[in-house]
Amino acid sequence: MTVPGALQRLLAIVVLAAALPCRGDETISGRWEGTTHIPDDDLNVIVDLAQENGAWVGSIIIPGLDVKGTPLADIAVKAPDVSFSVKGTLGIQLKLQLDRNGTMTGNFEQAGNRALTTLQKTGPAQVEYPPRNTPVARELEGEWKGDYQMFGYPRHVSIKFTNRGADSATAEFVIVGRKTNNLPVDLVTQEGDLVSVDSHEIGITFEGRLRDGKLSGAVRQGAIETPLVLERAK
Amino acid sequence: MNGSQIGVLLASLCAMAVANAQSMFRGDATHSGGYTGPAPRQFHRVKWRFPTGDRIMSSPVFKDNVIYFGGDDGNVYAVDAETGRQIWKRATNGPVPATPAIVDGTLYIGSYDGKFYALDARTGAMKWKFATEGERRFEAKGLHGLQPKNQTIADPFDVFLSSPVVANGSVYFGSGDGNLYALDSATGDLRWKFKTGDVVHASPALADGILFFGSWDSYFYAVDAATGKEKWRFHAGEDPLIHNQVGFQSSPAVANGVVYTGCRDANLYALDAATGKEKWRIFNDLSWVITSPAVVDGKVFFATSDSSLYHVVDANSGKPVVRQQGKAYMFSSPAIVGDVAFIGVLNGTLEARDVKTGELLWDYQVETSKQNKGWVLTADRKFNIPFLYHSNWREAPIVANDQQIRIGGVFSSPLVVNGVVYFGSADGFLYALE
Repeated sequence: MTVPGALQRLLAIVVLAAALPCRGDETISGRWEGTTHIPDDDLNVIVDLAQENGAWVGSIIIPGLDVKGTPLADIAVKAPDVSFSVKGTLGIQLKLQLDRNGTMTGNFEQAGNRALTTLQKTGPAQVEYPPRNTPVARELEGEWKGDYQMFGYPRHVSIKFTNRGADSATAEFVIVGRKTNNLPVDLVTQEGDLVSVDSHEIGITFEGRLRDGKLSGAVRQGAIETPLVLERAK
Repeated sequence: MNGSQIGVLLASLCAMAVANAQSMFRGDATHSGGYTGPAPRQFHRVKWRFPTGDRIMSSPVFKDNVIYFGGDDGNVYAVDAETGRQIWKRATNGPVPATPAIVDGTLYIGSYDGKFYALDARTGAMKWKFATEGERRFEAKGLHGLQPKNQTIADPFDVFLSSPVVANGSVYFGSGDGNLYALDSATGDLRWKFKTGDVVHASPALADGILFFGSWDSYFYAVDAATGKEKWRFHAGEDPLIHNQVGFQSSPAVANGVVYTGCRDANLYALDAATGKEKWRIFNDLSWVITSPAVVDGKVFFATSDSSLYHVVDANSGKPVVRQQGKAYMFSSPAIVGDVAFIGVLNGTLEARDVKTGELLWDYQVETSKQNKGWVLTADRKFNIPFLYHSNWREAPIVANDQQIRIGGVFSSPLVVNGVVYFGSADGFLYALE
C-alpha cells in the first residue's frame, strides 16, 4: 500500500464514520409497525419517529388501548439504540435496538412488566402533534367567575385568559371547594364562540360558548358534566 | 347551449350525484346502499391501512378525495383517500360508532358522550355541538337469557350509534335517549324531537318529506320531517321473556314507495311508505336482521346474524332470488356496486359476491382473524361457539362477545370509490383494498 493510498483510505473511513450516525438517524426516522408479545396476547404497536430541527419527535398508536397519536417523550436515538417513553396513566417505556436486517427489537415496559417488541419500518413517519393553544378573542381576556355544585358541595371557579402575542393564549384555572385547586392547564382553545380550557393531568375541562357577555357551558370531570355559567369578574 | 355543452353539463351533474352519494350512511338519504363506478371483481392488494386506537364500527364516507369515519377511540377522522395519511382528527368524549354525513363542507356525527357534532370537513374545527338527553345501550333484565335473570344487562350487540341524514337545512338522527332529533344544520338549534319508547340507534331514511326509522321499543315510525308529527307506526315482534327477539337495529331503505327494514324479531319487512301497511315479510328462523338492506334494480340485498345467510329477494314480492350460506354473523350492510356486492363479516373478513349469483368472488381476512387467538374461530372461520359461549352466568357472555369482536370483525359497511373498497375493522384499522 502506498502512503497516499493509505491516506485516501483513512480519509474515506473518517468521512464514512462521520456519516454513519446520520445514516443511522435516517434509518430510524419513519413509521415502524410491529407487535408487543404480552402473555396470552399480542399488541399491535405503531411508532412514528422523525427529526425536526435537530431534535427527535414522535408519536405512538396502540389499537385496542385507545392510544392514537400520543406523543413520545424522552426520545433518545444513538443508533443502533433507540428509547422513548409514553407519559400519562399508561406509563410505557420502549428500549429498542436496530439490527442489520432493519428490525428494531427490544423491551416494552409497563407497570413493572416487560415484553418483547419487534418493529419493522413500513414507510415515512406520520408524526402526530398534540393540539396547540389558540389565541382567544379580545373580549375573553381577563378573569371570569362562576359557581357550580358537585356531589352536593359548592365549587367556585375562576378562569383568567391571557393572550401571549398573536399566536396563543394561556389560562389560569382555579377551583375552590374545600380547598383551593390551581389546575395545571394543558390546552386553551377558541373555535368560533366555543371556548375550551383543559387540565388533562387532573382530568377536568371547562367548555363554554361566549354569548350575551357570558361564558355558558359545563365543567366535565371524567364522565360527570355539570352546567357552569361564568361571568366577567368585577 | 350546444350538444357538447349539454354533454359536459350532464357529465358534471352525474359526477356530482355520484360524489354526493358517497358522503352519507348507505349513500344517500333514502339509504339505497347502491353506488356507481367501477368495482373490483378480483382482489389485488391492500392499498393502505390506517391505524386508530380502538375498534372501528363506523362506516367510511367519501367527499373530495377524503375518507371520513368515526373511531371507538373517541376520534372523528379525515384521511387522504389516496395515501391513507391522516388529514385531521377531532376528539370527542366517547366512542364514535356512527357514520358521518358530509354536506356543504360540514361533517355531522354523534358520539357516545351524548353530544352531536358539526365539524368543518376541511379542518375538523368545531362549528357547533348539541347535547342530547344522553346516550345508552339497549338493556333489559335477563337479556338473551343471561343469568341472573333479574339483573339488567346492557346489550353487547348494540354496537352502532344512529348515523345522521341531512336535508333541507336540517340534520336528523336518533339517540339512546329514545328521541329522534331534528336540528338546524347551520346552528345546531333544536327544531323538534320525537319521543319513542326506547333506544333509537337505527339511522333514519328520508323520502318525500317523511322520515322512516325503527326504535328498540318494537315500533317502526314514519314522521313528518318538517313538523316531527307522526304519520304512522308499525308494530313488530315483542319478546317479553328474554328481550332477544325485539327492536330495530337495522336502518331502513326506501324505494318506489316501499320501506324495507330488518328487525331483531328475525324478520325483514317491506312496508307501504304511505300507510305503514305490511306488504310482505321474510322470517329468518330467529336469526336477527341487523344489516340495513340495500335496494338496487328491483332487488333487496340483506344478510342475517346467527344463520349467517346472504339473501337477495325481489323487492316487489319478497320472493327469493339468491340465498348463499356465509361463514359468520353479518351486521355490516351490503354495498352494491355494478355487478359486485360487498359485505363485512364478523369473523374479520370482507366479502365480494357476484350480484346475480351471490357466489363469492373474493374475500380478504384481516391479520387478527388469521391469527385466531384463543380459537375464537373454527378452522373454516365460523365462530367456535363452545369455546366462546360456555357459560351464561355473570360476565362470561360479555367477555365472550368482546373476544368475538377482537378477532377483527367487520361491522362497518363497505364503501367503494373509484374501484377502491374502504371499510373499518374491529382490529382498529381502516382498510383500502383494490
